This record gives sequence, structure tokens and C-alpha cells, in this order.
Amino acid sequence: MKKLLRLAVATAVLVGSTTSALANDTLALVVSTLNNPFFVTLKEGAEAKAGELGYKLLVLDSQNDPAKELANVEDVLNKKIALMMINPTDSDAVRSAIRAANRKKVPVVTLDRGANSGKVVSHVASDNVQGGMMAGDLVKKMLNGKGKVVELQGVPGASATRDRGEGFNKSIKEATGITVVASQTADFDRTKGLNVMENILQAQPEIDAVFAQNDEMALGAIKAIQAAKRDIIVVGFDGTDDAVAAVKKGSMLATVAQQAGRIGSIGVETADMILKGKTVPKYTPVPLQVITK
Amino acid sequence: MTALLELKGVDKAFSNVRVLQKVDFVIKAGRVVALAGENGAGKSTLMKIITGIYRRDAGTMRYRGSDVQFTSARQSMDAGIAMIHQELNLLQQLTVGENIFLGREPTDRMGRIQWPVIKERSRYWLGQLKQDISPLELIANLSIAQQQMVEIARALSMNAELIIMDEPTDALTDVETKILFDVIGHLREQGKGMVFISHRLGEIFRMCDDVAILRDGAMVHQGPVSEIDEDELIRHMVGRELSQQYPYDGVKPGPVRLKVDGVSAHGVSNVSFTAHAGEVVGFAGLVGAGRTELGKAIFGANPTTAGTIEVDGAATRLRTPRDGVGAGIGYVTEDRKHEGLIQAHGLRSNMSLIGLFRFSGLLGALDKKAEKETITGYIDAFSIKTHGIDAMVSQLSGGNQQKVSIAKSLLAEPRILILDEPTRGVDVGAKREIYNLINELKSQGLCILLMSSDMPELLGISDRILVLSNGRLTGSFSRDEADQESIMRCTVAGLKEATVQ
Amino acid sequence: MKIKEFALENIPLIGLVILMILVSLASPSFLSVDNFLNILRQTSINAIIAMGMTFVILTAGIDLSVGSILAFAGAVCASMIGADTPLLVALFTTLAIGAALGAASGSIVSFFGVQPFIATLVGMTMIRGAVLVYTDGRPISTGDFEVANAFYELGGGYVAGIPIPVIIAGVVFLVCWYVLNHTRMGRHVYAIGGNEQVAKLAGVNVSAVKITVFAISGALAALAGIILTARLESAQPTAGLAYELDAIAAVVLGGTSLMGGRGRITGTLIGALIIGVLNNALNIMDVSSYFQMIAKGGVILLAVVLDRRGKTTE
Repeated sequence: MKKLLRLAVATAVLVGSTTSALANDTLALVVSTLNNPFFVTLKEGAEAKAGELGYKLLVLDSQNDPAKELANVEDVLNKKIALMMINPTDSDAVRSAIRAANRKKVPVVTLDRGANSGKVVSHVASDNVQGGMMAGDLVKKMLNGKGKVVELQGVPGASATRDRGEGFNKSIKEATGITVVASQTADFDRTKGLNVMENILQAQPEIDAVFAQNDEMALGAIKAIQAAKRDIIVVGFDGTDDAVAAVKKGSMLATVAQQAGRIGSIGVETADMILKGKTVPKYTPVPLQVITK
Repeated sequence: MTALLELKGVDKAFSNVRVLQKVDFVIKAGRVVALAGENGAGKSTLMKIITGIYRRDAGTMRYRGSDVQFTSARQSMDAGIAMIHQELNLLQQLTVGENIFLGREPTDRMGRIQWPVIKERSRYWLGQLKQDISPLELIANLSIAQQQMVEIARALSMNAELIIMDEPTDALTDVETKILFDVIGHLREQGKGMVFISHRLGEIFRMCDDVAILRDGAMVHQGPVSEIDEDELIRHMVGRELSQQYPYDGVKPGPVRLKVDGVSAHGVSNVSFTAHAGEVVGFAGLVGAGRTELGKAIFGANPTTAGTIEVDGAATRLRTPRDGVGAGIGYVTEDRKHEGLIQAHGLRSNMSLIGLFRFSGLLGALDKKAEKETITGYIDAFSIKTHGIDAMVSQLSGGNQQKVSIAKSLLAEPRILILDEPTRGVDVGAKREIYNLINELKSQGLCILLMSSDMPELLGISDRILVLSNGRLTGSFSRDEADQESIMRCTVAGLKEATVQ
Repeated sequence: MKIKEFALENIPLIGLVILMILVSLASPSFLSVDNFLNILRQTSINAIIAMGMTFVILTAGIDLSVGSILAFAGAVCASMIGADTPLLVALFTTLAIGAALGAASGSIVSFFGVQPFIATLVGMTMIRGAVLVYTDGRPISTGDFEVANAFYELGGGYVAGIPIPVIIAGVVFLVCWYVLNHTRMGRHVYAIGGNEQVAKLAGVNVSAVKITVFAISGALAALAGIILTARLESAQPTAGLAYELDAIAAVVLGGTSLMGGRGRITGTLIGALIIGVLNNALNIMDVSSYFQMIAKGGVILLAVVLDRRGKTTE
């Protein structure tokens, strides 16, 4: 009985592997979650570009769970794929998944979120530093190079916090007439954005602009500013639905939006170049887009 | 005769309150010295100084010929001094064996605990006390008396030279007390020194060689027991004469108030009796005979499995203590510390807890003025010594705590009052006040059920005595028929029957 | 002697005053009526949750589910307001949901003998899950109906110059204070925390009281959720994350014992204010976010240690 079972399993595996012996034109895309519209758009961008270039695309959803992610990668590596694109759930936890691909000599491209170890051929992501600079440039332009600015920071230590802050401050420093009068964290949270902004409004009688490192904090800050009946321009980051609506309504000046679709399509383009033996840069920045009214 | 331990001129004060002054105290090898005195006289403080829990402010202490200054209980233990505390200091969720060897578990060279040794030695020491308790039993599953025996076994197992026993018999019945006394006799022959603290004067005369009497922190008398009589002892303790130790008030009982018919519950089987208004019914029995369980069953805290209980002719269904309170029953527990009073709360909130409904109006709003008046009234009437209505209960002496505990039940205006060991840990003066109180309540028409292990007390103030053994009623005596011997016979009779079964 | 006694009794209050003096020396913009109203308004949410928590902790329990209940209540309330539900109907439904969720935890504690920590940990997880399912992970806006404007007043409005959340917190405080100090229920709460066995033998309906305290905690968490949603004119799925910790910190800062049976609602109010002043001060003084966490933890530790020492020297 046991033998029979073993035989059956072996056959199934054999059949399975032959039928799924895919050609050299299959790409895998392992996405951290498809529960978030941003990543759905990313996936759709990749699918469109893959179709255009004649690739088959396997998409797997890690459901924000590093364990599920590893299982996905192991499964997909058993299916003769040419290249794996991965959008990690976590930059550290993805390590063993990438090692597994390295062992099978499948090239890896990371999308949106990077990996802290393992061999990655190329990383495709929005350029947060550039996005910060875009926000800074916009603020400079609106204030004509003169005024007082508040920065609301994200979770301390997060890479988005660092990069967006770096770009914004780099841009703002070029205008000698602009000073950052307060730079406080609100943990990417709307409620905290409201509270922290209220406190800053108490301390600072003169504020001309606020740059919030994400839209949630920006929307909170707007509530505080409206309640205080002050006239301050607010720039957010991410381009969420709520933020875009606020921009349309005029309560928010602008939001710096990531282009999720383009991360996906540029990812596939990069994969295409790798498979054709062309050299690709270690990091391909995807431009951001300032959404204004 | 050599002095095992000698204190000279010991002083101790707590935040400006003098607790001991210039106390001299000698403990001789091979003799039992009774330490007598009312609660608050400083007995426990003195013992805590000997065992290193407190530090003396002045004076000297010589132990086995050299001056010592213990700074922790551990040091005195290592020096061969064992103490059996008045409050049971056992860890409830550990086993008997673990408790006996707590902190000095026998280990092998690898540091592993040798459980077989613990089991065997625990069994041996419990055997010395004629206790058939498994070393693997959890303390929480033992009765208070059994716990007391474990505590004694723990002290014995230390092979100490000096053993201090703080009211060891309080939680014990006569049978266990006799066993303990036999053990004390053996220890005396081995030349150990012992301090015996007890409120039961009879035991002092029966068991002790010397007696030392503390009053208000001063040593007022020390000498051989043979040179003093009971009256003199009491006079030294209280500083005044006590005319009669057990006042009895022979009021005529009224109609039947409580009818218990065929009640069975955990630890109680098929008990039937009646009790009248204005009557004190005493319950005698060994430890584990089911007195506490019966009391709790009548109150509703121990669910009955069979039988009926009638209060004033009306059948009542008692499933929770709430039902008991509602039916006009008050229960004063034997275990003040864990079941009776919230130690960290004040007198006021403790006393009014059961009777809060008397002061509450719409949506439970309290009439705090009425509450305060009532409670102050009880504090005066019971002469509870406290420095305020919100003083923490834990700061009161045992006798005053007991009065608070009784007052707490009375505040709910019960018709039946169950008193479980009401004079345990209470000094002579306060005991008498409690007896007077019982008589007073009796004359007001309350029906009182008195569970007590103190036989003279039962004989002294009960109108009738019922004997329980192994959960069954095995005897009933009117006040005139009752004597210690025939009651004893009933308590043991039940046991024999049980072993035959 | 009298002064020393007062000091030992009121360590949290003294701590608050010292903190305020230090901050006003360090930053001139701290001492203004506007900023004080601002602090009170920000504190009101945590204070309301912490007052409910005080009831639970006094019975020797703990309620970890308040943050999730806040988010759930906020989401339900926002969607009702967004659907043009009459204001009072929306409010009472939301409060009732909060109370019911709390009572459910309390029932698990009472009838199945589950430790409050575990029961409410489960509640916290499951209710947060329910929030994500209900909101689909997105914020819910309170919409553009007339009722939304009235609803906003609950969070952002003023009466006689005082922010409405502050007034609500004040009313909650008075009611809680009265219940704990002047009713039978309050005595029973303290008694159960002091010694549950004693309370049971005194005829206290322990299960009923426990369920009630958890219901109070749930209802107040829902009230906080309503105010938060009103202020933001939208409900966040992640609202109230880790709020239970701020609430517990406020209760403990106020001198209430986690062992139950001892503590005062006034202490909780002061504890919440200490946390509020601290947050405000760190923002106003533009302290780097890395240092903020160290400073907050340090102040809480200091306050609790001082309070303990005060208690042991008694």
C-alpha cells in the first residue's frame, strides 16, 4: 500500500514537472500583497508590459507573510522560470528566498522594496530621494524662495523616512530664504499628524508650508490647520485616493505620487534586457509624479 | 542549666511607637518556655528580633555562648533557629514536600533536586506528627489544620536547636494538639529549647516548664510554671482581674429559626438539626470533620447536593453567598486573611461591604453619612481599637480584626449568625469581649452556630453542642450533659465507623 | 507632617506640576491658554479610555482590547454618519456596540475563568481583524451630509471656548468619580480587586460586576473612537493601535495598583495629563524623534518608581 502511494506521488511529480516544463520565456512575479491597490497596479503594469514583449508572467501573492513568500518562491523555482521579480514583504526576511533563487541560478530583480542580502541583479523602485526633492522644489516655487516650513516625518528609522527627508532637505537648503522651523515625527499616522501639527501650531506663530512624508500625516495636519484657521500650504506623498480628493478640493496643494504601474513595467523591461544579455544598472529609479489640481 | 539564648535590655520602636522596652528573656536548653501576653504586647516582635526579621534598637543577644546579630531569617535558620509562624507561610500552589524543603532542597552534585529524598523525608516528618498527608499534595488542597501540621513538620525537618512556635495549636483540634505535645516532649528530651506562644492558658500549664509574660512591651514576669497559677498569669497579662473566663447567659431560646434536614454537600453528609432564636449551638469535631463545610453549606458558599434548609419556616434555596445574605444568614469565616477581610482596605469599606444595601438608594447611590454613623456606632459598641474609620485592617490586632469581621456580618442584619472559629488568634481580653458579644446577640434573638476547636470555649458558652465527625452528626448534648470526655468519644466514634466502611 | 502626608498621597499631581514648570521654563510658547486647551483636547481621548481602564484594573483585570474597540466603533460610526443616520441613533448604536464588545470579554473572563490578559488579547486581535474586514483596509469618510457637520462638532467644536472633547472627558470623569466613590457598584469594584474571595463571600455578584466593568471600558473606548473619528472626519483602520498601552500607562502613573483594589480616578486623569503634557512639550521644544521615546519612557519610569517609594514608606 505504502509503495503504491509512493509510486503514485512520484508519477504525479513527474507528470507535473513535465507539463509545467515551461519555455524560457516565463517570468515570475512574487508580490508582497495584492490586498493593496498600489501593488495591484504594479502587477497590472508588469502584466501589460510582459504581454507586449511576449513573456508569460506567473504572479504569486505573499499576503504580507514572509513564510508564505518563501513557499511561493520555492514553488515557482521548481517551474523552470527564466527570471524572478520579487517585491519583498520585508527587506530582511526575503533573504532565504533570494538565496534559493541564487542556488538555482535564476536571476532576481527586486521591485519597490529592496533586499538586504542575497544576490540581486537589479533593483527597480521609486526614487524616494527624488520624490522628496520634487516636493521641496514645489514648496520653494510656491514660497518664492522665502518662508518657514514644517516637516512631518514618518516612522523613525524607516527607509522611506530617511530618503524622503533627505531629498526634501537637500532641495530646501538651496533656498537660503527658507527655514525648517520644526521637524517632528508623526509615524505615518493620520491621528498623530493631527496632534503633532496642533502642537507645532502652538509653538510656531509663522508657518508657510508643511511637507508631510506621507498623505496620512498630511491629511491629519490639514485638519489641525483648518481648526486653527491658519493659511498654510500642505504637500503630501504617495497619491492615495483621499489625498488626490483633497488636492481636487483644494485643501491640499499637492501629493507626490509613486507610479506603481511603471515600477511593474520597468521591472519587466529590465528583466528583458537581462535575459538578452545586456548590462543593466544595479538600481533603476522610477520617476515620481507630482499631482496638483 | 545552660541558657541556649539570652536577651538583655532589648528595645524596639516602629516610627516612634515603642513596641519593646528593656526586655530580658532567657531560653534554656531542654525546656519549653511559654511566652504569654495579650495581642499587641510585643510577642511577635520579640520573636522576629530573635529570628533576624527585625533588628533590635538596643540590647544584646547571646546564642550558644556568643553574641549574635542576625540580619535575616536565613541567618538565624542556618544557626539552628526554626520558627513556626502564626500566619501560615506556605506557598499554596506548591506541594507539601516542596514547601517543607523550600529554600534548602536536597540536591546531588549536579545541582539537580533529589525528589525521592524530599518525598521520603517529608513522609518521615509528617509521620512523626502522625499525619497521613501525601508529600505530593498541593498545599491549597489541605485544611488549615493540615497546613499547620506541614508548617510544624517543616520546622522539625530543620533539626533546629531552638524552635519557636507562634500559636501552633490555634488551628488544631484536641487530637492534633495532643500529637504536637508528644512531639514537643520528645524534643525536650533531646535537649532542644522551645518557645511556645499560646492564648490557651490550659496548654501553658500542661506543656510548659517556664513562663514569660509580656505586657505593653515590657517583660513583667519570668519563672517556672509551677510557681504561678492561672489567675496570677491572667493578672500579669491584662493587668486586671478577670472574674470569669466564660460568661454564660441562660436566656430562654425562642421559636425554631433554622431547620436543616438531610443536607449533604462537599464534606458534609446527611446532616439534620434545628436551631432556635436566642440560642447558641456549638459544633465540635476534629479538623476535617466538616464543620466549616457545613457552615458554608448553610450560608450558600458550598453548594448542597441533597436536603433542605428552612429559615423561619420558609424553605430557601441557597446556591451562592448572595442567596445566604438574602435569606438573613451571616457567616464569619475562620480564615480572616483570605476570606474575611480585605487586608489592604480600610475599616469602613470592609465593614459595610455586606450591608451596603442598607445605605444605597436610587441606582446604588450611597448615603455616606448614614454609613459613617452606623460604622462608628459599631466601632464604639465593639470597642474596636483603631485610629480611624479608614485605617487599614491589616494594621489592627487579631482580636480587633475579628470584631470587624463579626461587625461586617451583623451590618447586614442577619437572623442567623455562623461563627467559624471566632476566637482564633485573639488574645484573652478580646476573647472575653467576643463572648460577651455572642451573649448580647443571643439575647437579641439571633440564632448562633458556633464552630470551634477550643473545647472549653464550646462548653463554656454554648446552649447545646452537636458533634460532627467525617461529615456526619455523631452526637448531640445539652449544656448540662456535655463534658469534654463524651464529646471526644463522639468525634472519634465517627472516624472508626469511617475506617470500617 | 501634614505637608509630607499630602506629598506622599499626591505624587502624581506633584510630578505633573514639576513637569509643567520645567517645560514652561524651557519653552515660552508652552504657557498659553490656547496651548493648554490644545493639551486638554489631545489628552481627552487617552483620558476617556484610561478612565474605563481604571475600572477594569481596580478589579485586578486588564483590558488590551480598547484600541481595537476604538477603531471598530469609529468605523461603524463613520459609515453610519456617511449614510446620513440621525446623530443620536449613530452615537447610541456605537456606544452600545462598544459596551457589548467589552461585555463579551467580561463574560469570557467571568464564565470561562479565562485570565483578563488573555481574554482581551484575543479580543484585541479579533476585533482588529473585524475592523480590517469591515473597512477593507481603507479609511471611511464621514461623508458630506448635513449630519456630518454636526458630528464634526463632537471632535472639533467648542462650547464657551472649551473644546467639546474636553467637556465630554470632564463629564465622563465626574460620572466615574461618582460611581467609584459614592455607589455600591464602586465599592464592589474595589472589593473584588482587594480580594475576590472576600467579595464573593460578602454576597457580591462578582460575575455581574466584572462584566459591567469591561462593558464600561468598552463603551468608553467607543466614545473615544467617536471623538477621534469626528476630529478627523474619517475613521482609520489602524486607529487606536497601541492605545491600550498609553491608557495603562496613564492608570499606573496615576498610582493605581495593577494588583487591583487600590487607586483613584483622579490619579488616572493626572496620569493622562502627564502623558499629554509630555507629548506636547516634546513637539513644542522640537526634540528629535529618537530622543522622544527615551524621554517618554524615562518619565514614566521615574513617576512609577517615585510612587512606589512613597507607598512603601507609608
